[in-house]
Amino acid sequence: MNLAIDPKPLLTHEIGSLDKPGWRVKAYAGQPLAGPDFEEARSWGERLQVPEYERLLDLLHRAPFAKEQKSEIQRWSSLYALRLEESAGLDVVYDGEQQRTEMYDWAVTHANGFERRGSVRAFDNKYYTKAAVVAPISLGAPFHNAEFSYLVSVAEAELKVPTTGAYTIADWSFDERYDTDTDLREPAAERRRKRKAARRDFVLDIARNLIRPNVQALLNVGARWIQIDEPGASTEPDELDLFVDSFNATVEGLDAMFSTHLCFSDYNLFFPAIERMSQCRQFAVGFANYDSRELGTTDSARPGYQVIKKFRDLPSRPALGLGVLDIHSDFIESPELVRDRVLYAVKVFDDPSRIHVTPDCGLRTRSWQVAYEKLRNMTAGVALAREQLRI
Amino acid sequence: MDAAYREDLAGWIRVQQEAGLDYFSDGLFRWQDIFRPLAEGLGPKKPEELVRWFDTNTFFRAPEVTSVDSPSVSGVIPDASVPRPRVVTLPSPYTFSRATRQAANRNQLMKDLAERVLRPAIHAVHDEGASLIHLEEPWLIYYGIDNADWKPFEDALATLDVDGVKIILHCYFGDAGPYFDRLVKLPVTAIGVDLIETDIDQLGKRRSDKALLLGCIDGRNSVLEPAAGIVELIQRIAETAPPADLYLSSNCELQYLPTQVAANKVRRLGEVAQKAKGLVKV
Repeated sequence: MNLAIDPKPLLTHEIGSLDKPGWRVKAYAGQPLAGPDFEEARSWGERLQVPEYERLLDLLHRAPFAKEQKSEIQRWSSLYALRLEESAGLDVVYDGEQQRTEMYDWAVTHANGFERRGSVRAFDNKYYTKAAVVAPISLGAPFHNAEFSYLVSVAEAELKVPTTGAYTIADWSFDERYDTDTDLREPAAERRRKRKAARRDFVLDIARNLIRPNVQALLNVGARWIQIDEPGASTEPDELDLFVDSFNATVEGLDAMFSTHLCFSDYNLFFPAIERMSQCRQFAVGFANYDSRELGTTDSARPGYQVIKKFRDLPSRPALGLGVLDIHSDFIESPELVRDRVLYAVKVFDDPSRIHVTPDCGLRTRSWQVAYEKLRNMTAGVALAREQLRI
Repeated sequence: MDAAYREDLAGWIRVQQEAGLDYFSDGLFRWQDIFRPLAEGLGPKKPEELVRWFDTNTFFRAPEVTSVDSPSVSGVIPDASVPRPRVVTLPSPYTFSRATRQAANRNQLMKDLAERVLRPAIHAVHDEGASLIHLEEPWLIYYGIDNADWKPFEDALATLDVDGVKIILHCYFGDAGPYFDRLVKLPVTAIGVDLIETDIDQLGKRRSDKALLLGCIDGRNSVLEPAAGIVELIQRIAETAPPADLYLSSNCELQYLPTQVAANKVRRLGEVAQKAKGLVKV
């Protein structure tokens, strides 16, 4: 499928999540809102020129909130996030996943076959709720349609829907259904073989019975670009073929622009497996976390980007979503640093239409102030790069 | 925040006591990753780069080691409420040196970290009642080790010898079989293996002069394993190739499990140990 945005050189977009404003979190949790929450809603409403934001302020003063009011507050949060991204100058936007609990939990909550087990640490003091598969997997109800339909009605820029991929959901879940044999008296090699076979069934069942039907539902309501988020894709280096199979099983034969997001991995591991992802028109990959903060467009100045040559050589010639913002730091990348990262990538690819520009990952661990400044500098850096490239 | 920490810690100590464990840990509740308290004590550059911790969905900040001249090791001292005898978990010098962000000479770094950081840390925790040090060593098994690196590793471990402290080198996240003959020659009290990934029969029979730690409870799987099979396996090991001493633990950290699941695993570990103690003599 060709989108108007597809061939645009140095196209910019966010990856997915943004932090949720305090007023949205507290209102949804039934906690009292205080002065700073109202001020946050007012100041960002004003700053982002959110139409009729005074109505939100009025609504926030009407606690306790009924179910429909909570949904309305979530939609306001979506609108604010959408405006933040549009105001930062991004070409393609979404809502920072404001209506979802979290990328993993949201998917399994809407799936049949999973039970929550509790929270585990991902990094620092960031935790996520982990579930176990205990029964046959199927889609309980489409879980992005409502937010997408709302965003279509208010977005000025093109939309890209981020959705969590099958491999990541399997990798972040406990398996209490496919592989339950814990007998250590069996030879380890045999246990390993069984574990791998069970894992394959688990991942592909999620792809076919959960993610694909949800993607189909999105296409039915008009979504055109779907980003399959796979932060867990390279967790098991010997399962990259399985990750690829799960992507293909999810999108095979469907008509849309499909891309994938990979992050915080040794990206060399993905090759050659991802050569088989011919329906993936863009790989959005985080690099800034591994890069120097010095300016420059030489190989030595850009240590975090050396692996992009492998993405350049993929046979299906997909675009590279070039991660240029470190999302785990409050360091604000200057437009000049973004420019040099982009120029380096353009030099390597020798084709600016194959370079899209993004943060490394979702910005949900940063404050809105930091996220906004980072994104604005990102688009400013792209403008500098365009100027230099005369495009 | 501190009250929540105290409550969690008290609960975790209770779980260990009720399970009948022999050594007590503070659960590293204040540690954001295995290197952080030591890495932050090295200063002035704080670790930033986020790196995946092997094949888990957990990430660590790669330590930035610019100097080991005046490290602060107070961050690894267990909370005063932890009962004695205490076990303290630290990164093995090999894993520590390999996980560090940049180093011109990683073997020199390993030596420096052992002498200037880990040894002072072991002294400090020994002064606070720790008689067992559990060195985490996943790197060696997961990524392998060059032949030339064994001797520097052995030398680094030798510097950690502190009177009154037993040291376990726990090699996990992989099959210890291919490395076992060399591991048992290292200057530590015990070698730990990950039984989820390792065939005990592949470890040979030459281990009578070295204690063995069996990582027999799966720290990454929420399914609670039956005690009987593990006890039978321990019995087989004790009868066919008895080590100098035998320790039991989970195969890896329990941070990959929700608290309640982890608590059940600790209870199962206690149950296994109790049954095994009645059957096995080493």
